[in-house]
Amino acid sequence: MKNQDNPFTFRGKYFLLVVLIFYGVLFFFNSQTAQLALLKSSSVLKKILPILMFVILFTAVLNFFLQPKQIANHLDRESGIKAWIWALVAGVISHGPMYVWYPMLENLRFHGMRDGLIVVFFASRTIKIPLIPMMIDYFGWAFTLILSFYILIGALVQGLILENLTQNSIDP
Amino acid sequence: MTNSTMGKKRYKQTPPRPSFFKILQKNSLAILAIAPLLMGVIGLVGLFQVLVTPKTLSNLFQGNPIIDTMVGTLTGAVASGNPVISYLIGGELLGQGISLYAISALVLSWVTLSFIHLPAEVEVFGGRFTLYRNILAFCFTIITAILTTLTLSVLL
Repeated sequence: MKNQDNPFTFRGKYFLLVVLIFYGVLFFFNSQTAQLALLKSSSVLKKILPILMFVILFTAVLNFFLQPKQIANHLDRESGIKAWIWALVAGVISHGPMYVWYPMLENLRFHGMRDGLIVVFFASRTIKIPLIPMMIDYFGWAFTLILSFYILIGALVQGLILENLTQNSIDP
Repeated sequence: MTNSTMGKKRYKQTPPRPSFFKILQKNSLAILAIAPLLMGVIGLVGLFQVLVTPKTLSNLFQGNPIIDTMVGTLTGAVASGNPVISYLIGGELLGQGISLYAISALVLSWVTLSFIHLPAEVEVFGGRFTLYRNILAFCFTIITAILTTLTLSVLL
């Protein structure tokens, strides 16, 4: 985990460079596909920008009323069943792609949030409340209900397994 | 009270609460710091959406429940985009007679597993956490898909 008090540095520069090189090569061999991919990427960016703004604002409001340490105190190793339920609910109601939530979770993890809860958050994100009517339409009530039930149980079990796998904090 | 205990007490006192603007600025900088990571992931998402079309994904399924469950899990992990697309592909596959095991696995892994998010996840959470989380998500995708289909076949 990166120390959040470190001076400001961009992260993932080399990863971005590799992706840019890939685009460059694709432009050289098939510029039409590369342009289409760029268009798709820009539309993804447009879609996630409001969610990113929300995450920044939500984290700021949360940190203003509750210091990250106070929040993390409810999500650390001493936290009880409530923390697991919070992680489950937060995962279900969280919107947008997984990676927009990375900064907030990293911040909480830095202040002591346990890794099992992060796993629960990610695993329970499979349930997408706004998409439930569509799922019912495609696959039926029974399938949607049973799948959602197993997703929730599975998310908790995954979190517990991870806790057992990592008795001590991992990636310090 | 000794000087050292007083010192410890002073150390434990809560620091003054920073202003909302300061917190907002700090959070904005945290997002800005991972901007290259996010841009890289978004760039890959665009590439995959163009190069790996829903039709290509549908063609991978063979009709064998066991193989198709694995294919569904891996396909969902490779694919990217709105989960609605996984429902569309799933609906199409269901019409083609592909097993519900495979479709459940595809829908599940579409959201929880993603090869193109891996570099960002490793950078933010570390290699071991990412490895454990993804192995667990992979196994539980298959387990959940099997349990859902079995429960449905018992109940209906």
